[in-house]
Amino acid sequence: MMTLVMLHWGWLLAAALLGLIVGWISVARRSEGLSVWTTRWVLALVALLVAIAIARLLPGRLGYWLDLGLILALLYIAGCVAGSWLRERVIARAAARAASGHGA
Amino acid sequence: MPDHATPGIFKWGRRWAPGLIPLVMIWALAGWNTTLPLETNLSAQGRAAIKDMVLDGASVTVEGRDLRLSANAFSEQGRLSALAAAEAVPGVRRVNDATGLLPEAKPFVWTANRDVVRVTLGGNTPLPAVKTRLMEAARADLPGVEISDRMTFARGAPPRFEAAAMLLIDQIVRLKDAQISMSDGSIKLAGTAREIGGREAILAALRNLPEGFSIAENAIQAPPYIFQVNKDPVAATLTLSGYVPDNTVHASVIAAIGRKFSGEKIVDNLKASVGAPQGFAAAVTTALGTLSRLSTGSLVISDREVKLSGDALYDVAANQIREGAGGPLPQGWNYKAEIALKPAASSVDSTICQQLFSELLGKERIRFESGKADISPDSVGLLDRLIATTLRCPTTNIEIGGHTDTDGDATGNNALSQKRAEAVLNYLTRAGLSSERLTAVGYGSTQPLASNDTAEGKAQNRRIDFVVR
Repeated sequence: MMTLVMLHWGWLLAAALLGLIVGWISVARRSEGLSVWTTRWVLALVALLVAIAIARLLPGRLGYWLDLGLILALLYIAGCVAGSWLRERVIARAAARAASGHGA
Repeated sequence: MPDHATPGIFKWGRRWAPGLIPLVMIWALAGWNTTLPLETNLSAQGRAAIKDMVLDGASVTVEGRDLRLSANAFSEQGRLSALAAAEAVPGVRRVNDATGLLPEAKPFVWTANRDVVRVTLGGNTPLPAVKTRLMEAARADLPGVEISDRMTFARGAPPRFEAAAMLLIDQIVRLKDAQISMSDGSIKLAGTAREIGGREAILAALRNLPEGFSIAENAIQAPPYIFQVNKDPVAATLTLSGYVPDNTVHASVIAAIGRKFSGEKIVDNLKASVGAPQGFAAAVTTALGTLSRLSTGSLVISDREVKLSGDALYDVAANQIREGAGGPLPQGWNYKAEIALKPAASSVDSTICQQLFSELLGKERIRFESGKADISPDSVGLLDRLIATTLRCPTTNIEIGGHTDTDGDATGNNALSQKRAEAVLNYLTRAGLSSERLTAVGYGSTQPLASNDTAEGKAQNRRIDFVVR
């Protein structure tokens, strides 16, 4: 795994940044996003792919591409979580300042 | 706020889906760009990992992160440690095992062959290091000889294989051609020894074969017993090479050459060695007599075959030599002659003719059996040269004069000198010279060249002269 990170840090960073941006934006968007039903399907699909990767079921290049995809997805999600959390904190702090200002 | 964080992430997570499209694009680009460099990197590392391992035909191929190792190992342990080394390469996901063990050779056969061109080592060998050492030993033993490596790896070598093979390689030096094979512990040898005695030396060396090895068959031939003389009239040398049985025969060969040839320089490369065929000394003496009749030529005695080649001085001599006129060879010997005729020299006038005769007879004498008028076989070479000279003087008459020393009574000496002169005349007419041009005169002791008081003087006075009239 370390070897892959060392070799591919550029691509991983790109996925993480993409996640950060998407996470940041998503907090302020009005859209509901995917339906709960679809989300479950997506999660089930990801779980299945992770299982395939761990079991090393796909041979050769396909196996490598799956690993690569899952790592990129993991960093993307990590970026999303970080982005959303940061944005939420920024909003929460602004709201608190407004509330205290309003209160004063 | 922390209370809101967890449900918030679930809520927002549903909104992260739009990023999946660029993520898939990043994925595709990364896959496109990194696959080949990754494979190159892993296969280089995989090859480095097994580089120092003892494997035959090892190859590493990489697809994605999966490494395929194919090789023949020399032992199960070696095979497993190669796989472990491949698995330990960082970044490798899975090692596909295409390794196997080398086939076991039963019987384990190793061969060494030598022909004119090269030495070929073949058959089975247990380890690369052993193979390298065998090749190095062969190269060291046989500098300048091409060593060809046809050995393949196999398991199942008998214990002490290397020591036995080394000993056999050391014997190749002594062989001109060789077919050596070792099948498990049994060794077969065939070929020809390079030198007389080489066969025995090999047998002696093979007594040191390691335990478990034995000679099943030894068909090494001794080389032919060679005796060779080359006569080079330009450099006036006789070159002797090959073998003689001992110093006595050596001395008698040199003495015979002294009697039969007229002062040629002798280059003596003869070596003493056992193994001479029966009748060797007699055959050499006979053959040397015939060689002395050739203007240029060579004598090769190989075992029991006498082969003469060269140029005879005149037609009759050529035929006589072809028919083996030098005398009978010992029983069981063969005689082969390839005789050409020396181109006839130009005719000369009587003055030069006399000079040529004096030159020839000044260097050596026509010899006779003691007290008799029978020409010694040692003088056939000289007589041929006298005849060849006579043929160059077609218009002259020649007197063959017989002379003796003062020992004995004058009548007897006169008669003997007359008979000896006639014997020479007869020899010349048998060679095809016209008897009308030749006269034989016996002078007895009346024309001494030197004092008859000393042995040397007497020896000088006993002679045949050729005088142009």
